Amino acid sequence: MSGVWERIGARAGISPGRARTYGFIFIGTALLILLLFARGTASDQTTVFVLNPGGESQALAVPDLRLPSLWTLYGIALVCAFLGGWQLARGFRQASLALGGVALLFILAFLVWAARDRSLNFTGLLSSALLRAVPIALAGLSGVLCERCAVINIAIEGMMLTGAFVAALMGSLAANVWNWPPLVAQTFGLVSAVLSGALLGLLLAVLAVRFKVDQIIAGTAINILATGITSFLSARILAEFQHLNNPGIFRPVPLPFLSRIPVIGPAFFEQNVLVYFLFLLVIAVHVMLFYTRWGLRTRAVGEHPRAADTLGVNVFKVRYVNVTLGGMVAGLAGAFLILGSVGRFDELMTAGKGFIGLAAMIFGKWMPFGAFGAALIFGFADALQTKLAILRVPIPSQFLLMAPYLVTMIVLAGVVGEAVPPAADGQPYEKQ
Amino acid sequence: MRKGLALLAFLTIFAVLLTACGPKPTPTPEATEAPTEEVTEAPTEAPTEEATEEATEEVFKVGMVTDVGGIDDKSFNATSWQGMEMAAEELGVEVAYLESQQQTDYAVNISQFIDQGYDMIITVGFLLGEDTATFAQENPDVKFAIVDFAYDPPIPNVLGLTFATDEAAFLAGYLAAGMTQTGKVGTFGGIAIPPVTIFMVGFENGVKYYNEQHGTNVEVLGWSTETGEGLFVGNFESTDDGRRAGEDLIAEGADIIMPVAGPVGLGTAAAVQEHPGTMLIGVDTDWCISAEEYCPVVLTSVMKNMHIAVRDAIKMAVEGTFEGGTYVGTLSNGGVGIAPFHEFDDDVPDDLKAELEQIKQGIIDGTIDTGWDAYLASLNQ
Repeated sequence: MSGVWERIGARAGISPGRARTYGFIFIGTALLILLLFARGTASDQTTVFVLNPGGESQALAVPDLRLPSLWTLYGIALVCAFLGGWQLARGFRQASLALGGVALLFILAFLVWAARDRSLNFTGLLSSALLRAVPIALAGLSGVLCERCAVINIAIEGMMLTGAFVAALMGSLAANVWNWPPLVAQTFGLVSAVLSGALLGLLLAVLAVRFKVDQIIAGTAINILATGITSFLSARILAEFQHLNNPGIFRPVPLPFLSRIPVIGPAFFEQNVLVYFLFLLVIAVHVMLFYTRWGLRTRAVGEHPRAADTLGVNVFKVRYVNVTLGGMVAGLAGAFLILGSVGRFDELMTAGKGFIGLAAMIFGKWMPFGAFGAALIFGFADALQTKLAILRVPIPSQFLLMAPYLVTMIVLAGVVGEAVPPAADGQPYEKQ
Repeated sequence: MRKGLALLAFLTIFAVLLTACGPKPTPTPEATEAPTEEVTEAPTEAPTEEATEEATEEVFKVGMVTDVGGIDDKSFNATSWQGMEMAAEELGVEVAYLESQQQTDYAVNISQFIDQGYDMIITVGFLLGEDTATFAQENPDVKFAIVDFAYDPPIPNVLGLTFATDEAAFLAGYLAAGMTQTGKVGTFGGIAIPPVTIFMVGFENGVKYYNEQHGTNVEVLGWSTETGEGLFVGNFESTDDGRRAGEDLIAEGADIIMPVAGPVGLGTAAAVQEHPGTMLIGVDTDWCISAEEYCPVVLTSVMKNMHIAVRDAIKMAVEGTFEGGTYVGTLSNGGVGIAPFHEFDDDVPDDLKAELEQIKQGIIDGTIDTGWDAYLASLNQ
């Protein structure tokens, strides 16, 4: 018998015990769906998924999806059970992909149950998940850029806060004092925010590379500095001159053709430029890290700076450049909160998103797409808990607020596996 | 290394100075009667120096400790500070504030005022309840007033300033139910604590009362008094979360939203502004005035006149009539109320206005119940 498990495990590249556990998890999920959801559902209840976004949209209108709740739940449970049986009997080549699929099916079953006899805007859920993920993903990318060359950037939060403040102030100055056209003014605010992030990144690099200060302490100092300066200036300047805190917001720009796709279109391709910029940035950072000379050097410096140095790579220069770039992306994340979301600065408005970005970086295994994916999971969990609260699912709000982090832990333990940071992460380099 | 540490130390000191430096001078209020003279006389330096310099003068000194969210939160910190400024102008007391950046700052800030010999300390917010009680008991000579908290049994030198916000929120809920086009109205909170949920309970019951009176079926998204559960963003700072919560409520069909989360609600305002046909109900202050850029979408605001309460508390202390206990702001004493409809004044039907006036009277004379007491009792069971 054990021979079977070894064969199945070997196909998926996981241990035989794990392959079997996966199978049982899938079947267990099916039972859980029947026990938790199907039991409390009457056969005449229907779940309505609204597929058009709230408000105006370019997308082709599609009718609402009306599902008989009970039969849909039975169907989902059946698919899970089938996947489990298949895993036990034959085994999936991509076992973790199957696990992810079952997790999604479970969430779908949960939604069908939660929205029985009610309606839920599915497109709105996706759009909300993406928008909640944007600042986290940008913060995560900033972390990837810094840590790939072995500088821990715990100051992302402070850089975001500063970026947000600068975007609000400079954007408003341009728009309301110098009377520039809105789009130009907002772009000016954006560029200023990115530059302010670059300055703080440079400061971190000087502290970490030139002076070899403990990077955690240096980052914390920058966070405290940013909190202090922005709160102080906000109370002194923005509170008194309201027109200096009103830079306007980038309007959504529907992408031709793509935005007309039902469901996906309004959620992903009817957003403002900063969201599209994030998509491009994720691809760009990935390509740069893994397919260019700069990327090879960065990774070498992060894994083994002495070896890189021996081969003639300027370790200090690489770290200066990367940490500054990381600061710029963090500044952009702050600018998104202002110019891509709320259009005004308020004290402490980042509320820990920079740190969650760092978590996304770790769960994404220090990979750009990984960090983006992790941010999407956080964003989805966050959007989901909002929907559930609106749908009055009888779960305590404190528990719902915990949900994103619970999901993270499950994903981390089940799908991602061990996350290994760059070998030299956090260590100052001493030239010999 | 040493230089680096020196630079780091310098940065940190600079930051700490900015973050939590001694009481800041009074910023000029935008009010009509700007007390410019008082402002310039107010302390410009940290109280350490000023205590020795002005020891001879017997000025009544009042310090305010804010909750997180900043002095300019367009909400309870800002309104309370307005009361401090009124007191400075009318009573000639000396006022200063310390901002709390995080919850661990509460005790630090209170003790700073005590060490500087302040006569009275106003703490702003439910979350400061425990620290205020501790310091009040240790310093019986210093008078305290705390916004949004009441002690049972009362502490002799603490006046709890509470507000029957449910009464005003009930009116707002009734109004929203009468104005909605989609048949759905929404609300969400910052953190599930009584000063927040009191708005939501009053709001929901106001909607229900409208349904009873008119046979309609307007739904409230984001709060249920029955289960005591609702939508909370988990903080009072992240305006981005406020925008997202607003968009989610709009996507589910709500066209009037009341965010009960201080500045977080301003993020919701940005979302409401981009969705034609949706409206916002402000909280704590009249948002048409405090956040005027959003006035075109503000239907009304549930006002909690903390400035009056703070001013009165200081007045009692100055005049020697101060007593520990609880002050309750109500519709009848003007402590709470709903703001004028401003740009929506023509859109609100006269019948609805008349009904609101009747309900207000009903709440004042006790014939209409907002349901808050019953909810509170169910919590304490």
